Amino acid sequence: MKIHVNEQVLELAENTNIEQLLVHLDKPLIGSAVAVNQDIISRSHWADTILNEGDNISLFQAIAGG
Amino acid sequence: MLFDEMKKNDQLIIGDKSFSSRLFTGTGKFNDQQTMVAALKASQSELVTMALKRVDMQHRDDDILAPLIKNGMKLLPNTSGARNAKEAVFAAELAREALQTNWVKLEIHPDPKYLLPDPIETLKAAEMLANKGFIVLPYVHADPVLCKHLEAAGCAAVMPLGAPIGSNKGIKTADFLEIIIEQANIPVIVDAGLGSPSHAALAMEMGADAVLVNTAIAVAGNPVAMSEAFAKAVQAGRQAYLAGLGGQSTQAIASSPLTAFLEVSL
Repeated sequence: MKIHVNEQVLELAENTNIEQLLVHLDKPLIGSAVAVNQDIISRSHWADTILNEGDNISLFQAIAGG
Repeated sequence: MLFDEMKKNDQLIIGDKSFSSRLFTGTGKFNDQQTMVAALKASQSELVTMALKRVDMQHRDDDILAPLIKNGMKLLPNTSGARNAKEAVFAAELAREALQTNWVKLEIHPDPKYLLPDPIETLKAAEMLANKGFIVLPYVHADPVLCKHLEAAGCAAVMPLGAPIGSNKGIKTADFLEIIIEQANIPVIVDAGLGSPSHAALAMEMGADAVLVNTAIAVAGNPVAMSEAFAKAVQAGRQAYLAGLGGQSTQAIASSPLTAFLEVSL
């Protein structure tokens, strides 16, 4: 299936969840935040939130700042 | 009470957390991660700010979180980049997930040239975030009326500016900071523009509860040494405030007794 992550198209296996997506993208689990179709998904639901064809994922990360 | 005792009991309480250090620091603008961590440790800061950004899919950012957590620093995510209340609330909710904290430094500055905080959107966002259970620390202009509104909205502290962000100009808002400090029932953290340890000491002498410094440390010739200098200045300024500064006078008031022996003709 195809999903969009920060405007980039990604081909993923069916039934991929958010935690697997982050691992697949080599992004850190700590310090990351994820929204699916503009809804923020709580970290406690990453493992049970299955992604669907056409989903728009926004991925955010904590960085240095003042 | 003995002064040593007074100092020992001098904890700053914000929300549900108590701080021994009144110097808060930012993590931005350091040349490298190693310098950042060394400087933050030298500052003895217990609260450090972070930002949030959309991940660049082509590039992996350094993990700066692990060393901060390891050193026991509490993280304060900001909402930098938000242009209105709605975006700031979204950013705060993302930051809560990313850093697992309900603390947020609320900052809404739509104009990148001066980075001045939007008071109307900030107040709106503060009300919404406080209602959602966030510990809200809003970055604002040194506006006493706005600060009272933010206090009424349920903010845990206010963070009025000394001068524009990153300008290193010092405390240009002194008269208004004094009013804010005098009126506040929540901690006042002077944020932005503090360019040298003397600026930080002045803020503390004025009765600010804490200061937040980033640029002045990060861009210093030696950020670690500068960080330590800020820590000392904040301690000195706080101690001076607690000790009670002497009053000012236009006329001279002699420090030595004006004895008459100089009138003796020699």
